[in-house]
Amino acid sequence: MTRTVFPFAAVLGQEKIKNALIWNLINPRIGGVLISGEKGTAKSTLIRGAAELGDMKIIELPLNVTEDRLVGSIDLKQALQNGRRELEPGILKDADGNILYVDEVNLLSDHIVNALLEVASSGVNTIEREGISHSHPSRFVLIGSMNQEEGKLRPQFLDRFGLYVEVEGEKDLITRVEIMKRRVAFEGDPLGFIENCADETRDLTARISAARIRLPEVEVTSNAHRFAATLAQGVHSAGHRGELALIETAKAIAAFDGRHMLNIDDIKQAAEYALPHRAQEPPPDDFYEEPPEESPEEEQTEQESPEQDEDPPPPPEAQEAQQPPDITPPERDDADNADTSNNEDEDDIQEAGDAFVIPRWIDPHVTRQINKGSGRRNLVRSGTNQGRYVNHRMAGSERVSDLAFDATVRAAAPFQSIRDKAGRAIAIEGDDLRVKIREKRTGGSILFVVDASASMGANKRMKEVKAAILSMLNVSYQKRDKVGLIAFRKDSAELLLGITRSVDLAQKKLAQLPTGGKTPLSKGLDLAYEVIMGLRMKEPDAVPTLVLISDGRASGKKAPGSNPFGEALKSAERIGNQGIHTIILDTENDFIKFHLCQKLNEKLRGTLLTMEDMKADGIVEAIAATRRAT
Amino acid sequence: MEQARKGYCFTAIVGQDDMKTALILNVINPNLGGVLIRGEKGTAKSTAVRALAELLPERVQVADCRFGCAPNDKAHMCGECLEKLTNHKTLEQSLAKMKVVDLPVSATEDRVVGTLDMEHAIKTGEKKFETGILAGANRNILYVDEVNLLDDHVVDVLLDSAAMGVNTVEREGVSYTHPARFILVGTMNPEEGDLRPQLIDRFALSVTVIGERDAEKRVLVMENRLKYEDEPEKFFEDFEPMQQALRDRIKTAEGLLGQVTYSSRILEKIAKICIALDVDGHRADIVMLKTAMTLAAYSGRTEVTEEDVMEAAKLTLPHRMRRNPFEDAVLDLSQIEGI
Repeated sequence: MTRTVFPFAAVLGQEKIKNALIWNLINPRIGGVLISGEKGTAKSTLIRGAAELGDMKIIELPLNVTEDRLVGSIDLKQALQNGRRELEPGILKDADGNILYVDEVNLLSDHIVNALLEVASSGVNTIEREGISHSHPSRFVLIGSMNQEEGKLRPQFLDRFGLYVEVEGEKDLITRVEIMKRRVAFEGDPLGFIENCADETRDLTARISAARIRLPEVEVTSNAHRFAATLAQGVHSAGHRGELALIETAKAIAAFDGRHMLNIDDIKQAAEYALPHRAQEPPPDDFYEEPPEESPEEEQTEQESPEQDEDPPPPPEAQEAQQPPDITPPERDDADNADTSNNEDEDDIQEAGDAFVIPRWIDPHVTRQINKGSGRRNLVRSGTNQGRYVNHRMAGSERVSDLAFDATVRAAAPFQSIRDKAGRAIAIEGDDLRVKIREKRTGGSILFVVDASASMGANKRMKEVKAAILSMLNVSYQKRDKVGLIAFRKDSAELLLGITRSVDLAQKKLAQLPTGGKTPLSKGLDLAYEVIMGLRMKEPDAVPTLVLISDGRASGKKAPGSNPFGEALKSAERIGNQGIHTIILDTENDFIKFHLCQKLNEKLRGTLLTMEDMKADGIVEAIAATRRAT
Repeated sequence: MEQARKGYCFTAIVGQDDMKTALILNVINPNLGGVLIRGEKGTAKSTAVRALAELLPERVQVADCRFGCAPNDKAHMCGECLEKLTNHKTLEQSLAKMKVVDLPVSATEDRVVGTLDMEHAIKTGEKKFETGILAGANRNILYVDEVNLLDDHVVDVLLDSAAMGVNTVEREGVSYTHPARFILVGTMNPEEGDLRPQLIDRFALSVTVIGERDAEKRVLVMENRLKYEDEPEKFFEDFEPMQQALRDRIKTAEGLLGQVTYSSRILEKIAKICIALDVDGHRADIVMLKTAMTLAAYSGRTEVTEEDVMEAAKLTLPHRMRRNPFEDAVLDLSQIEGI
């Protein structure tokens, strides 16, 4: 089917996207562009509209593409009907010499990204599958659009994009009014609207094609090369792709402007587009009119995939500075009621203190996931028949319940000429059977077990604890974790919030959490055990994590004559024996330390963190700095 | 087999005026972009959406088209219809009612987007595309109950189709593109989790429903419901005049919609509201204008008034207010009243 797209020439504003696209049309060697920005800023509209302006077609890569369609695979019809093994080319073949467009590129499945990266770097697509051995050139201009709210890109993927543009909506009243008018006019009569701006489209197309012809004649002096290299070095851009993209862009700018000579402004302008995503630290102000506030290299995390090793890790400030805490916990000077509230029977609701940025505080998924990750949601290979079908494998001897039909038929295809088909079009044998490998993008499930006894009211401990949990919740919000909350105080433990996806609700419950009373630690642990075991039954794919926030002290007895801490140790052992992933946040901040949490942890076999760990590495200072900056 | 039970009457739903208006506006103007209904359990969310089906208008479509293409809308036609049109110059037409197509939360991706037709492949050795839910949803209402519980990867698919009105399939050996312009209607209980910001922005309108607090109205809710269960025939008979009146009103509004005009003051007001509230991007502006136009048509007018804009703001902005997690994002109408 044909697509009716809003004409490129009729889009108002968004000059940066337009420039980047036009330059890429003029000079495909720039290497594409990544457009990042808020919702509803004509990102996709402009990209799709750009196809009308040049000779290149736009080939779309849908997010749910499977590998066989991406790289190509055996031609079923040929194999089944004529017994011939032929290649049915995939998207990468169509993309050769064209634009490959990925909308919401940050949500693309990792294994598709890997395949894409390999081809993007070599320019050749090699197919070795299903008895097919073939390779063909595949050079394309990679264009991606994304919204940072949803997650980030891996650095080496980011580096593949020649240019980077960040956009937001137009703030000017008259522009906004005109944007509305045009959009409504377009929707009323799309074909008529396109007809109306046909002249503008034709002019722009002519200018671009003239620039294409001029491009090979544009001269680049060695001074220009040197200047480009200096600029790239100035932002500590890794590798040489940055300056190459820079020069190619500058050439396109000159050509579009009708010149044969590069000038300094061309290079400076090109640098605004070619370097931000490669900068390893914020570039000096004088490089850009508007220094990009969010240079996108924050995706560099400690869990880098092997291919990344050649890239030097960015300085830690760069990582932290990118993640401004979105929560601004209310701060109140409540020193005057600090000590009155330690009475065991009186409830005290402390507000959260300053948030910490969590240094990848935990990764409950490390053991079970395949995380090539970049601070985005975790991918869990799904054992049940849910999730995105990303790949397939041989069924082996297991009972086949989730058949990958396409893969099975392709596996059987090469042998059809020699098999007895008994009247059917295709004969499938046991060895051909393939089952789906599915991948689910899930967060983990985190159950917070919080000591809300009177001792937590002391020394403003609760304030710090709330701040710590809030910071963890903030991470959970981004990763789409599920969270639950248990508090134990007075005589019992209470499930304040069952495991839910509403991190919001957890935050509200937490804010209202009072402290006071005894410390029935073992009851808290027992309840947590039940909740987590229940969750395991319900969702076998879930990776539950228990986060215990306590100073390890227990009071209040289960049975007369027993020791509260001993009870707690028993409860802890039960959890430890089930291999439940546990993290203890030790809140003990008294001068004399009992190290009770250490003893608990021996039973829980989890990870022990102190409040100091949470605040480590000057993280709090880093946040304060970013707050001042914004 | 017993005939399937007839759905509830839309006009028998007591109160919940915002929700009803939002749904009707989408029927009048299918290009509006859907509605998200947020609310507690038992607030007639699903009932309202299902009851809407009965009110939906009949419209012309290409006979035997899997996607129900509009015969005169060349811009959004599927490849097969377009080919027929070029070959034969005309397309056979038929009348069909707009439908409410369900997208269950447990739906797998291949059922949503479509996949390779296994039977056809085994029998003939040829590849054929078997359509999914999105194909059936073209030019219809796509209804997702508990939309916040939808798997992320299904949401990804919805996002793209909802934005572009096209479903592109490149998977499991098939490569296929077809129109998928649907009215996205979702219901959710916010206590069970949030929607992804990207998806929430795709809903043109949002309404929050709460249980009726008025005792008399609550009594009426019960009475209507009991009547529906005990004497369904009488129930439908009683409400038929109101149903017909609403159908007529929708039909009139559909006719008026094309003639609705607006002054530049209206446009400026909309832009000022969006700037004042600092909403992301331009989708809010455009949706607000379309909503105001549809509201005008629904009131039987052909000129957008300032009241239409305020009403439209109430429907289009609440879910676009939040910029940060944990922010208590509420639309404060007093903030924009002076504009």
